[in-house]
Amino acid sequence: MTEPLLSVRDLHVSFGTSEGVVQAVRGVSFDISQGETLAIVGESGSGKSVTASAIMRLNFGADVRVSGSASLDGQDILSMSEEGVRQLRGKDIAMIFQDPLTALNPFYTVGNQIAEAYAIHHPGTSKKDLRELALDSITKVGIPEPLKRLNQYPHEFSGGMRQRIVIAMALINSPKLLIADEPTTALDVTVQAQILELISAMQEAHGSAVILITHDLGVVAEVTKRVLVMYAGRLVETASVEDAFNSPTHPYTRGLLNSVRSLDSDRHSRLEPIPGNPPSLIDLPSGCPFHLRCQYAASLNDRCRSEVPELKAVGNSWSACHLTVEELSSDLRAAT
Amino acid sequence: MFYFITRRSFFAVILLFVVSIFTFWIFSALPADPAALTCGKNCRPEVIEANRARLGYDKPFLEQYGSYMKGIFVGRTYGEDESGVHCAAPSLGYSYDRHECVTSLVAKTIPVTASIALGAFVLWMFFGISLGTFAALRRGKWPDHLSNVFSVVGISFPSFFLGLLSILVFVIWTSILPFPQYVGITENPLKWLTALILPWCVLAVLSASTYIRLTRNGILEVMNEEFVRLGIAKGLPRRTLIVKYVLRAALTPIATIAGIDFAFLLGGAIVTESVFNLPGLGKLTIAAVINSDLPILVATTLVSAVFIVVANAIVDILYGYLDPRVRAK
Amino acid sequence: MKRNRIIAALAAAGIFLSACGGSGMGAQSGEESGGRSASLDGTQDGGTLHVLTVQEGASTLDPQRVYTGAELGAWGSTFTRTLTSYQPVAGEDGTNLVADMATDLGTASDDLKSWTFTLRDGLTWEDGSEVTCADIAYGVSRTFAAEVTAGEGPMYALSYLNIPEGDSDFGSAYPGPWLADEEQQALFDEAVQCDGQTITFNLQVPVADFNYTVGLLAFAPVPKDKDTADQYGLAPFSNGPFRVESYEEGVEMVLVRNENWNADSDTVRKPLLDKIIWQFGVDEAVIDERMLADAGEDKNTIVYGGILPENLQTVFGDDSLKDRRTDGFDGFVSYTMFNVETVNCLEIRQAVWLALDREALRTAAGGPFTGEFAKSFVAPLLAADYEPAKLVDGLNEDGTANVEAAVAKMEKAKEACPELHARATGEGLRFDHPDSVTWQKNIAIWIDSLGAAGIKIIDNPIEPSKYYATINGDRGDLMRAGWAADWANASTVIPELFAEDGGFNYHSNEGDPAFAAFQTKIDQAKAETDRSEQSKLWKELNQYVMDQVWSIPGSATKSQNLVGSNVRGAYQWKPFGWYNLGAIGLAG
Repeated sequence: MTEPLLSVRDLHVSFGTSEGVVQAVRGVSFDISQGETLAIVGESGSGKSVTASAIMRLNFGADVRVSGSASLDGQDILSMSEEGVRQLRGKDIAMIFQDPLTALNPFYTVGNQIAEAYAIHHPGTSKKDLRELALDSITKVGIPEPLKRLNQYPHEFSGGMRQRIVIAMALINSPKLLIADEPTTALDVTVQAQILELISAMQEAHGSAVILITHDLGVVAEVTKRVLVMYAGRLVETASVEDAFNSPTHPYTRGLLNSVRSLDSDRHSRLEPIPGNPPSLIDLPSGCPFHLRCQYAASLNDRCRSEVPELKAVGNSWSACHLTVEELSSDLRAAT
Repeated sequence: MFYFITRRSFFAVILLFVVSIFTFWIFSALPADPAALTCGKNCRPEVIEANRARLGYDKPFLEQYGSYMKGIFVGRTYGEDESGVHCAAPSLGYSYDRHECVTSLVAKTIPVTASIALGAFVLWMFFGISLGTFAALRRGKWPDHLSNVFSVVGISFPSFFLGLLSILVFVIWTSILPFPQYVGITENPLKWLTALILPWCVLAVLSASTYIRLTRNGILEVMNEEFVRLGIAKGLPRRTLIVKYVLRAALTPIATIAGIDFAFLLGGAIVTESVFNLPGLGKLTIAAVINSDLPILVATTLVSAVFIVVANAIVDILYGYLDPRVRAK
Repeated sequence: MKRNRIIAALAAAGIFLSACGGSGMGAQSGEESGGRSASLDGTQDGGTLHVLTVQEGASTLDPQRVYTGAELGAWGSTFTRTLTSYQPVAGEDGTNLVADMATDLGTASDDLKSWTFTLRDGLTWEDGSEVTCADIAYGVSRTFAAEVTAGEGPMYALSYLNIPEGDSDFGSAYPGPWLADEEQQALFDEAVQCDGQTITFNLQVPVADFNYTVGLLAFAPVPKDKDTADQYGLAPFSNGPFRVESYEEGVEMVLVRNENWNADSDTVRKPLLDKIIWQFGVDEAVIDERMLADAGEDKNTIVYGGILPENLQTVFGDDSLKDRRTDGFDGFVSYTMFNVETVNCLEIRQAVWLALDREALRTAAGGPFTGEFAKSFVAPLLAADYEPAKLVDGLNEDGTANVEAAVAKMEKAKEACPELHARATGEGLRFDHPDSVTWQKNIAIWIDSLGAAGIKIIDNPIEPSKYYATINGDRGDLMRAGWAADWANASTVIPELFAEDGGFNYHSNEGDPAFAAFQTKIDQAKAETDRSEQSKLWKELNQYVMDQVWSIPGSATKSQNLVGSNVRGAYQWKPFGWYNLGAIGLAG
């Protein structure tokens, strides 16, 4: 195996609020190789977006605490100087945001903003070249009449078109890593697939690695090979998409699968939402964070209530659960 | 854009017309009889009636309005015999109380009020925006606290008190400055400056607090906008980010408010002009109120209305330039 | 004489008196003459005097229009000379008439219907040209021009000069110099005749003190070729020791020495200053602070307009200011007129007087500093003619209501005039007053205190600008007013306010049985050439009015002032109730 492109180790992120300290991410570690596509899934508040932001050091505020490391090509982003991170942003790591309607600066033309993304990291580029590059990039993301559209303002575009522009902007510097934070959530269902296709196509063209943050398992199935499942700030399972879908090793992953209708599942299959709500990140339960909602916890000994389970290998997957493989497998099979 | 400007200017003219006829109507509906006001204690009804005819108050409302408007374009003569007075265009009437054409009275006040307004505006915009920006960027640190102090002062101290206090401190107690007496800038720039520095500061302190708050809140709001995060994610240098992304977005709505505030100030800072004894439009207005000098009141009301309507139009057009989203509508 | 319009308006709007507690004031009002500042100790020639005022401008500089006590004195002592004027001294002698442009106090014909004055030699205008008899005649003729003077100035030229009635706006056959045709002008030229240095005024009535009349600025000269009609007041032409260098309302007026003033021709004025700068529109609170601080140029400063009520205690409680402060009468008496035609019952009028809480009214106005309870319609400043009258029996000295006495009078009225008694206690008496904040307060006191004696009041506020025009036609039962003498003779008070043809008589008292005797005595007093004999008559007439209760005297009003520490010669000039501006000098 080659050296991973990005290596995240023991990432912790917490925010101080008036009600207490929010422990958003607690000890997350994972690797991603060059050109690989990785999905991070979880409910809202699971810490997936915070993890993504932490990699780009986009968590702001007076009381944000980040610890651990996130090494890109062996360089730890978290301990870098502010200027170092700035030069990294948009060049080595780029990001696509959830809501294209608000992600573009309403005061400048899209051409200006795309060109700017390039110019920041390539000072001295002539205006003419910048324009050529911008034109080229929006042509590639499939915007019709690109010459005319280049001089228009964001509000003159539809949501899908704007997301294409954001993608064009993110990829103009051929970043090594592209973080897409819920890139299709705000879009019409009909446009979602197009955007996902575009991301895949562009990824191939630029050879970038992609971290796809989503709560939508259908999206995961579409485009990624490996999936990280997060719950209450912790990684609870990492697996290949196939394993995660066919033989989930963590009760939460299983619950997640049951609670959504995957794109190719039978329309009449019954939906089973996970009972209860995710725990408060200010006042976390002891032991396994999932134990209050876990249908197996009651049948187990007190470990679920007292001891935080570590990630351990379960077949081809890694799972953070006190259940033995056998207990889990039999029950899971029965359930699915 | 051309269409936008044309349409906006057209509306401004219509609005001015409506405002002028309304102003004229309000003042003609007041119980105070402008003709009776021209007459002393030894007044006979015949004198009142003669002056009524002389000043045109005996005519029906629309005819009075018509002559007034005509006077603005071609000038007007009051009285027919040799003792009559001619007011050249643009004539805004004749003040029988001051024995002068209203236009020349108003014209004398404009440079004073404009000097006050311009200086105060520059000061308060500069301090308001820079302190507001500092406060937002150093949230919870000293610039933020300083801006809070400003806000408290601006909100809790009436301009009269602050004006008087500044005179006491800088003029009467310490004699750092001479007592403000307005001199034209072309006449003596230094005197002009020393006369205006206190009123500028008082007005600036009072209004800056609003602008500090507006700027600070605007910036904090914009900082949370997704496009600013995207700007950071693009790797924009902090300076570019603040100027091109944050300030641009945060200040655009403030420009509108500032334009209107400036127009109001051009209409005369009544209290400040009174406290500092500056013969501006505000002082002329308040004196006219006290003397029930209706011709002056009509004129100052109209002039202020013109400032505000024009400023509104300019701000709208400017906003069209500043915010592409408005232009499209 | 008018009270300054702007001050009156401010007072009416409650601006002057708003912060005033009234009775709780520590320092008490008492006459103060200004100590050293009134003397000429250490005065040097030259210097610039500053005058600060809250007013936006003078009421007018036009001699034929000016009718404000302080301004009559100020303009007269600086840039407008008249045939006669007053002795420039403090105290009672200040009301002595002296010859000014004339060589003496004039000569009257035996029937007092013709007065002749001879002009001094060497009288000059500010351009060096000679002041002629024609200039004086022209100046007087301006009074008749309704379209220019608008009734703002005194109208004695109209009521005295021998010109028939006619259809000018002032009711004269002569419409003033602008509108007159040759024939009409001839009428005037007949009444005011020039013969070389001699000017003769032919009158239609005998006037014993016409030489006082010509001391009014309304009888001052105006050069015809410099006259700008309505705008003459913006740049009047000087024949005095100072001239108007610039005048801009809302900004300032600058008086400088008139190099062409011929000192030899002027035995009255002894100018010391080089320059007088009036600064208009200075905030009152700022004025008081500057005067108290007395720093820099403010040492050479006087104020036109008084002291804010809230600062009176500071000023009069601090003995170190003794040499800089004045507290004195301003020449005005306020009063409430009866419509004697409708309130034709002495007992009712007495009852109203007795029931009225004058102390409450004075407290509402600002307390003792605002004035003393008047005992004469003649102000105390007019010392020669002033004598406290005996007021109605039972009237409380402290100004409070005597309800018991009032009720007793009403009982008598019930028998004496049952109809009016029924109206006064039933429907009520109508009270006319200018509609203002002050008067809203005052009328409440009237209603309350009279109500205690069973007298009802119908409040009738009138738009201030229309007040006098309204009561000229439609009079209520009671009307408020105020007056000051036009010159140092009660002939401008008692006859003006109460006699037939009185220019300010709104009493409708001609039908009163007591009127005929009164008018006879008035005519006698007017024709009396012995001044002390005349004074006696005015005092008796004042007592007569008090006995008949045609009006209820209110306050003899006072004003307080503070001058800069270098100011000298700033004495209260009695005829005008303010300083003799032209006589002021500076020390140090």
